[in-house]
Amino acid sequence: MAIVGSRRPSPYGEAVAEQLGLELARAGVVVISGLALGIDAAAHRGALNGGGPTVAVMGTGVDVIYPAAHGVLAEAILAGGGALVSQFPDGTVPRRHNFPARNYTMATLSDVVVVVEAAEGSGALITAEAALDLHKEVMAVPGSVFSPLSVGTHGLLRDGAGLVQNARDVLAALSLGGEVLDDPLATPNELGFRLPAPRDGILSHLSDVLALNAAEIARKLQLPVAEVLGRLTALELEGAVRRHQGGYVRALRRGKERA
Amino acid sequence: MDLHIVVRVLGTVDSCVLAGLEARRVHVECDIGRGSEPAFHLVGLAATTVKEARERVRSAIKNSGLEYPRTRFTVNLAPAELRKEGAALDLAIAIAIVLALTRRSAPPNSAFLGELALDGTVRHADGVIVAARSLRALGYERVFVPAEDAAEAALVEGVEVIPCATLVAAVNHLLDVEAIVPSQRSVAAFETRAETTEHDLAEVHGQDEAKRALEVAAAGGHHLLLSGPPGAGKTMLARCLPGILPPLELAEALEVTQVRSLLGELPRGRPLDWTRPFRSPHHGVSMAGLIGGGSGLAAPGEISRAHHGVLFLDELAEFQTPVLQALRQPLETGRVSITRAGGSVVYPARFTLIAATNPCPCGWAGDSLRACRCTPAAIDMYQRRLSGPLLDRIDLQVAVRRVPVEHLASEPQGERSALVRERVVAARARQLGRQGCLNAQLKAARLRQVAGLGPAARRTLERWAAQRGLTARGFHRAWRVARTAADLDASDDIEEHHVLEALGFRLQDVAA
Repeated sequence: MAIVGSRRPSPYGEAVAEQLGLELARAGVVVISGLALGIDAAAHRGALNGGGPTVAVMGTGVDVIYPAAHGVLAEAILAGGGALVSQFPDGTVPRRHNFPARNYTMATLSDVVVVVEAAEGSGALITAEAALDLHKEVMAVPGSVFSPLSVGTHGLLRDGAGLVQNARDVLAALSLGGEVLDDPLATPNELGFRLPAPRDGILSHLSDVLALNAAEIARKLQLPVAEVLGRLTALELEGAVRRHQGGYVRALRRGKERA
Repeated sequence: MDLHIVVRVLGTVDSCVLAGLEARRVHVECDIGRGSEPAFHLVGLAATTVKEARERVRSAIKNSGLEYPRTRFTVNLAPAELRKEGAALDLAIAIAIVLALTRRSAPPNSAFLGELALDGTVRHADGVIVAARSLRALGYERVFVPAEDAAEAALVEGVEVIPCATLVAAVNHLLDVEAIVPSQRSVAAFETRAETTEHDLAEVHGQDEAKRALEVAAAGGHHLLLSGPPGAGKTMLARCLPGILPPLELAEALEVTQVRSLLGELPRGRPLDWTRPFRSPHHGVSMAGLIGGGSGLAAPGEISRAHHGVLFLDELAEFQTPVLQALRQPLETGRVSITRAGGSVVYPARFTLIAATNPCPCGWAGDSLRACRCTPAAIDMYQRRLSGPLLDRIDLQVAVRRVPVEHLASEPQGERSALVRERVVAARARQLGRQGCLNAQLKAARLRQVAGLGPAARRTLERWAAQRGLTARGFHRAWRVARTAADLDASDDIEEHHVLEALGFRLQDVAA
């Protein structure tokens, strides 16, 4: 199955992709993605952490790693028994028009395509459309209704895509059953994330999808902005919050830290 | 032999030309010969504007009803190797001719400045206050200046200012026909005008984080970067900064006035300019326009026009890279020295920089309502244009977000600028009392002396520095901002929360 999505996901989307990759790999599913930034990389990483092979379908020649920063990831994919595949000859450099074709190939290779966070017009939606053409199953992970990154995925859900709340939903679509999951009794709305213990009350006012800035939190709590900014920085130092697009989001603990 | 000496007549008068904020002395000598044909020779490395003085001076003298030489005569501008530009030597040349003909000498330690109209009126000259101040330093006691510039020149203490409305008036004064009353320092000029702050912080909706950053910037003299989508109010915020800075000190006002006088931009009827400058050059500005330059001797650029005020650079990423690079020296030293064919000049340029930028080429990255359409690579490239040495010198960085439209209709609730200014003034007083300069200008060694960190504060700063890979410069910058946060708190010690706040304004530090 393929996991695709935005190249600039929210921490939420990234965590979902990583967790899905991990749990599906543990369940014996081969996770396919596109080696791109964001959701793709998170899905590959999760699958590797889950000990499964993962396949990167590339829009360049297999000898041209794009983005270049993913050289280490590509090596890890190969070391993990996975594969880098491409329909393009060796030496093909990144070209805008090659990527839709790559997305189509990804859909061809998969039985199920799961979209995690895709803004309107995202390349992930091309993959989903290709999957529909090919009569493959398309599924989507819901997001916040406030986030532009949910527009694409919610559109898919409205049009009949399968709802993904956890890895079991995907396994059901693959007709594989959920018995190999970590904890088959886990409540369905929990993908397995744990929030850091709320040492600072501010934390409970932060979201893991939408960035809030110090001013917005300070207004809500009726506290001086200087104080809130300082407390957020302290939380940032501890790794409990992250700066994200001009604000702060709650940092979700990564799958690999749990594994 | 004797006869020869008697008929040779010489008139000598002093004037000056300006090189930056310094005056260079010019001796104007007129030698009236015994020749047959009347001819006016002007020698002494005169530029075109000065060569044209011949025509202006001749008409002015004749139209004033004064005697004009009927023989061949020479006007020499000494020293010969100094290039002379501008029309301000007109008055001195005319006076030299008149004195030569009347065989009188100018009063000692006097200098003459002013352009002549063809009817003999003495016209405005740029930089009269600069000239008066420099001439006093050179030992002159009296300056003859255009009447309209007299109030400006009179701001300089210790020099007598003779306002000249016309050439005749000046001549009558010199020939003891009718004395001109020297100009007095006008008391009104020294009354600080009640600052009419056009932009008040209270009118800005939300943006408390950016407002706090402005307060810290104003208090410690720190530079500030505002990053946010179009329409987030970055320009409005920047325009609020002058309103929360303390009023100009007299010395500062005099410096601002000198730069403006040099540029001929001093408002008429207001010899002393008390307005804190706010300059916002367009991103297409050239190197000469921003830093200073031009042919001959360099003219002051936007950064010197912003001296003691605010330089606002909107769309920072759109400025040419070499132009931005050139900002580094003035940002560090508060001065800029520019060398051109005509020589080297130094201009003051101690300004607070407010830079604004979009987070990405389309501007919408991070906006909650509109999706950004830029590729990660494009964003990366855009932000790389900004990074490096310039960004390294901006202490405060803050993300500005759009205020939801539904909030805009309501009455904004924020502090008035006047209230914020009170805290800024108090914090500045603490700094000046402690170390004689603002925190942003503290050298690292001095910083360690006067701004000790408590154990917890030090641990936090060090932990961040290690986690984010701070350079020594970045470390000290965060330290200075923490000192300013403590000063705003009227606290002698830098507490941990001051350090945390300072670090909160370091958008540039990305977790490794």
